[in-house]
Amino acid sequence: MNAAEVRGLCKRYESFELKDVSFTIPAGSITGFIGRNGAGKTTTLKCMLGIAHADAGSVSFFSQPYAADERGLKNRIGLVLGGVGFYPSRKLRLITDVTRRFYPNWDEARYDMYMKRFGLDDRKTPAQLSNGMKVKYSLALALSHGAELLLLDEPTSGLDPISRDEILDIFLDLQDEGATILFSTHITSDLDRCADDIIYIKGGEIAASSTRHEFVSRFRAVKLTHAEYDECDRGLLIGCKRSKDGYNALITAQNEELLPYRTAEADLETVMIHLEKEAHDDTADA
Amino acid sequence: MIPLMHKELRLALHPTMLIFLLLSGMLCIPSYPYYVVFFYTAMGVFYTCTWGRENQDVFYTLMLPVKKTDVVDARFGTVILFELLQLLVAIPFAVLRQTVIGAQNPSNPVGMDANLALFAFALLLYAAFNWAFMGVYYRDVRKVGKAFVIGSIAMFALMLVLEMLVHVVPFMRDVLDTPDTAYVGEKLIVLAVCAAVFVLVNLAALRRARRNFVKQDL
Repeated sequence: MNAAEVRGLCKRYESFELKDVSFTIPAGSITGFIGRNGAGKTTTLKCMLGIAHADAGSVSFFSQPYAADERGLKNRIGLVLGGVGFYPSRKLRLITDVTRRFYPNWDEARYDMYMKRFGLDDRKTPAQLSNGMKVKYSLALALSHGAELLLLDEPTSGLDPISRDEILDIFLDLQDEGATILFSTHITSDLDRCADDIIYIKGGEIAASSTRHEFVSRFRAVKLTHAEYDECDRGLLIGCKRSKDGYNALITAQNEELLPYRTAEADLETVMIHLEKEAHDDTADA
Repeated sequence: MIPLMHKELRLALHPTMLIFLLLSGMLCIPSYPYYVVFFYTAMGVFYTCTWGRENQDVFYTLMLPVKKTDVVDARFGTVILFELLQLLVAIPFAVLRQTVIGAQNPSNPVGMDANLALFAFALLLYAAFNWAFMGVYYRDVRKVGKAFVIGSIAMFALMLVLEMLVHVVPFMRDVLDTPDTAYVGEKLIVLAVCAAVFVLVNLAALRRARRNFVKQDL
């Protein structure tokens, strides 16, 4: 079963366009939604929930069209758009008291448990919280109404490495409890640690949607000296970049044997950087 | 809708909305353009919407299990609630103005008397404001100032027309702009008609605001 299914989502702005965005999020998975800043991650999330008005396409959650039961489905979804940017001068206690009335499944004991676990004091205001604590508070709210699907927009952005690590631990724990998580990020190392699946968006279009392993294993990282670079078939290289000692690039796994140099496993960041470089070079050439 | 109204009143409401209710007491001023009292409610709506923008109220609300149109319904509900409260709080002051304070001269020399017809016309002023303000505001909730300028122009233009009509239309001058000891039946009919207009205009404004807000990209 899929926790979410997006089909043919289109949205045109003056300077940007989402083009036929389609993907699925399997139930129980952690999916990383990656792409550089401005690639369309936040717009996609907003269009999925009607916060931005999509020009075309359909969105369903738990096999039900979102438009048919917006309220009911939102009860099963925890949405975190960044940290808590709202009501910065109001006490968390008040915000929680207002929020919990919207959810028939609100579990006060669970809320208390998360507040303790995250070290949050509900007498504080969002303005008094660090960015990491704000994300944790948003998560505490989302998790206390038993959200089955968490949609998180850049939850680890701006956090220090330790806070990011803590958040990723929480994601893995939540997955063990059966939750499905989609989180957008441009910090790909976070996904190396916890993502099952990857959705890669580039210039408003889905460039890849697969398991993380399948995605990274399509490519190999290659380092070339200046001499090797001069000799090799450059048509095989993807997103070739200069470095201090020569050149770094990707090649597709199927072309690995055509290049007689050492290659290594590519991580997500390497794949993304070189794919973006390739796209940039193509645009510049055009 | 109850949790949303609770959110409106506990989180979203700007404190001036409550303070401005007390300005209904300005009906006790012996010579004053009483329509201005109702403009304070409009200012309270403006402050609440501005405060909402600073506090990202719309984003917060849209993260909750509500439809996009529910956000508009709740704000409309709050605005109408406070407009009616402003009138309700004004009633004892209007009575006071016409009896104790106005024992010698119950008429207001600089505008409409504080009578039933004033309340009827206040409903028209609110209807004009709601139509203009809400329609523009829900086209882009970031542009509260623009919505308020347009809403205020609509309200003040109607105030001017109403004040002018009191001088040029004999029925308004001789029947409606009189103390409530006279022509109560006529004034009640005008109140009923204005209340009906208030309901119809607000329903139309609500539909328009919902339509605009659903199309809006946040």
